[in-house]
Amino acid sequence: MKILVAVKRVADPENLNKIKLSAQGKIDTTGLEPKASPYDDYALEAALRLTENGTNTKARLGEVVVVTFGPKEAESMLRAMLGTGADRAIRVDATDDVLDGDLVARGLKALVDKEKPDLVLLGYQQVESESAQVGAQLAEYLGWPQVTFAGSIKSEDDRALVVGREVEGATAQLRATLPAVVTVLDKIVKPKSVQSKHTSATHAYPEGVRFAALMAIMAAKKKPLAEVKLAELAPDATLKVHYGAAELPPKRAAGVKVKDVKELVSKLKTEAKVI
Amino acid sequence: MSSPKPIQAINRYKADLRELQFLLFEQFRLQELLGKAPFENWGEEEIRSTLSECYRWVREVIGPLNAPADAQGCRIDDGRVKTPTGFQDAWKKLYEAGWKAIAVDPEYGGAGAPHALQVLIEEMISGANTAFAMYPGLAFGAAEVIESFGTPEQKHLYCGRMFGGQWGGTMCLTEPQAGSDVGSAKTTASRNPDGSYVIRGTKLFISGGDHDLAENIIHLVLARVDGAPAGTKGLTLFIVPRIRPSADGSLGEFNDVDVANIEHKMGINGSATCMLNFGDNGACLGWPVGGEAKINQGMPQMFKLMNSARIAVGVQGLSVASSAFLNALEYSKERKQGSAITHWKDATAPRVPILEHADVRRMLLDMKSRVEGIRALAVKLAHHQDQVRALTGKDEQKAAYHQGQVDLLVPLVKAYGSDQGFRVCETAIQTYGGVGYTKDFPVEQYCRDAKIFSIYEGTNGIQAMDLVGRKLGQAGGANLQAYLADVAQFVQKYSGDATLGGAAKALGLAQEALGGSAMRMLMWFQTGNVGMVPLQGNRFLEMMAETTVGWMLLQGAAIALEKKKSVAAGHPDAAFYDGKVAAALYYARNVLPGVEFKARLMGDEDKSPLDIADASFATV
Ligand SMILES: Cc1cc2nc3c(=O)[nH]c(=O)nc-3n(C[C@H](O)[C@H](O)[C@H](O)COP(=O)(O)OP(=O)(O)OC[C@H]3O[C@@H](n4cnc5c(N)ncnc54)[C@H](O)[C@@H]3O)c2cc1C
Repeated sequence: MKILVAVKRVADPENLNKIKLSAQGKIDTTGLEPKASPYDDYALEAALRLTENGTNTKARLGEVVVVTFGPKEAESMLRAMLGTGADRAIRVDATDDVLDGDLVARGLKALVDKEKPDLVLLGYQQVESESAQVGAQLAEYLGWPQVTFAGSIKSEDDRALVVGREVEGATAQLRATLPAVVTVLDKIVKPKSVQSKHTSATHAYPEGVRFAALMAIMAAKKKPLAEVKLAELAPDATLKVHYGAAELPPKRAAGVKVKDVKELVSKLKTEAKVI
Repeated sequence: MSSPKPIQAINRYKADLRELQFLLFEQFRLQELLGKAPFENWGEEEIRSTLSECYRWVREVIGPLNAPADAQGCRIDDGRVKTPTGFQDAWKKLYEAGWKAIAVDPEYGGAGAPHALQVLIEEMISGANTAFAMYPGLAFGAAEVIESFGTPEQKHLYCGRMFGGQWGGTMCLTEPQAGSDVGSAKTTASRNPDGSYVIRGTKLFISGGDHDLAENIIHLVLARVDGAPAGTKGLTLFIVPRIRPSADGSLGEFNDVDVANIEHKMGINGSATCMLNFGDNGACLGWPVGGEAKINQGMPQMFKLMNSARIAVGVQGLSVASSAFLNALEYSKERKQGSAITHWKDATAPRVPILEHADVRRMLLDMKSRVEGIRALAVKLAHHQDQVRALTGKDEQKAAYHQGQVDLLVPLVKAYGSDQGFRVCETAIQTYGGVGYTKDFPVEQYCRDAKIFSIYEGTNGIQAMDLVGRKLGQAGGANLQAYLADVAQFVQKYSGDATLGGAAKALGLAQEALGGSAMRMLMWFQTGNVGMVPLQGNRFLEMMAETTVGWMLLQGAAIALEKKKSVAAGHPDAAFYDGKVAAALYYARNVLPGVEFKARLMGDEDKSPLDIADASFATV
């Protein structure tokens, strides 16, 4: 199976509290180390699991291509992903300010037409604007089936996947014919969430995203990393989303102390109007 | 009655990756050695990825085992040591990840990285779980000995397997009557006609002397061949496998090595400290490292390898001290107690984080400057080692200069790293207050674990003797002269600097005091006043370590000041660089002047510890 994993580079999600807002309402992330959006890391982990037998992770039984839209510096993130196990990487040269979800989806569509993967995996959303647009739009442009909020993926043969889609309080088991677009949740990196047709049903992975071994980090620089111009993929660079201004969420107002249950009930009725 | 709070299996290890990157790429400019022999496979990107991936690995895999393993300890079951829960899995994962192969020669499956990187990787592994790190650490050290001195067959059989974690390893020097005095070892070796030797004796305090992490354990045992001279001259280093392997590596017979017991200790409880009996049944065989030609060469072999083991122990001190400091810093931002000094009379004034109290800030900056200074010292040493590797065969004179600095700095890293490492951990407990003394926080364990570092691998007393008795006079004193000249050059360059000038002058005074004290030592030697040398050795070592640490901190500060010029005001790097300058100035103002003072004390030639009668120490 050939899988394309689309990855967004975001400001270090572990330090989001350090984001500042300029007077003009622009988000300032200076000094925050750029990293892959965590759900995209999970998508890569799922892709690797789908292209191996679980016990010998060095024997690749498919191809995983990681792609990002970003500047030259984004290549170190892609190299790191090659170290983690991806076979090939593509960087579409662009900076965030000339992109929106729609343009990325159109660019990805053109890339998919060229690369012809069986599956495109993405995080269910990226952690910066959390808009969850790209996966859905890409599937639409491609006319492919899509499953969002995937918590598990099983591939029984090369023609279809059984995807567990998380819906409120339950899981819907969906069968998606390939090629397809799937966006994943963090549950996807649980020990038994992903099974390729080569993995035994009893195989359990360590929870989470695998580590890059030292020798794999060293070998990553020999793996192919291609650069593609955005214009080659999407000649029309018009953006549909325009950036207004951002503001920090309002501080929570101080609470009120109530005397007794009676007062609480009355306040909930008259002031909060929730009952 | 309820039982005590359970020990939580969560990671507490912290490192400041920005600081590590600063040392490698800004202060020591490691990139200048990369991309060409012998580091042709290494570039900046690989180093950054390795650091961040290893940091993620230690926090997720071995960090969470640190406190539980301390509480659980090791036990002997059916004559074999059982290591704490999780160590077997961690061992397997460590070798899968490849961190122990970082600086190993590619011939044995290693990545051939610069020592400067290896030191920082070792810091992370050791800091996340000191006791666990002992087992692979000793396997690595023993493999290095065989790599340096073994016969081709020995290297072929042992090195790959020991570097790769298939087999463990130990260093067996100590015996009940032979601690610092290695030459008193009584373990015997009697030659068999086939060239093997029958080994008999008891070794004490052997770290990882037995464990359940690898299928075999290869002991390196110092023993005396029948008829060999007394003392260190008659010692030979033997390869003594727990299970005898065939030439193809398959395991054969049990080699009569038994673990008699394990110690109950203050710290590193997850590391089994074993008493080993070799040849109780007369069936223990050993082979001299390097073959028959190397009989009685055990001490020179050990000496050469002691460098790397001693550096590793200094780095152990650094590793826990660094995490102790970073944990204490985090706590000091959260814990609210008391009000600002400006409102101390106002009972209604808001409570402030303890970070705002002057005495807490003093402790924090003191820890920061020592930790970062020792790290810079360790990386400096490793950087000299890397340059030896890069220059050997190209420029022997320069290579010799770098090797001279390596030899000189080893006792400083070992002794200052371990002594100060322990003291920083103690200061971290003090910073926490009462909770620091409990197992809710990691610092009490760090402190207990850290105490051994000043004792094993040559006590710090022995390090001081190594420095003043061997190293100062090496190469006719040229290594020391080169060192003093390097410091003087820095002082000259920065004495007029607006920010660092005063500190550079303080460094200059320390350097002069140090040089003068070295002359004084020489004079004591020459005038037969030799009793003064061992009495003042420890003090001299501390003076030299403080001078070097002060110098390294100021060198970093000079770079930070330059770099800061091109950093935007709100950028976190601005605060980072300011921190480098603050740490250097603090150390220069509060520690460096002590060097001059200590030189004065040396000049006073106080002999009271020698003069006091044994009976006068106490009446009991
Ligand atoms: C947890 C632990 C792990 C260890 N692991 C190993 C191991 O893996 N392999 C191994 O071989 N050993 C190991 N050791 C032993 C360790 O190396 C010795 O304890 C150390 O060398 C000191 O020897 P000693 O304990 O006999 O102390 P002693 O040599 O009796 O020293 C006692 C004191 O006297 C001082 N002293 C001794 N001789 C002199 C001198 N000539 N001049 C000035 N001062 C002197 C020492 O500095 C010290 O302060 C370990 C010990 C411990 C506690």
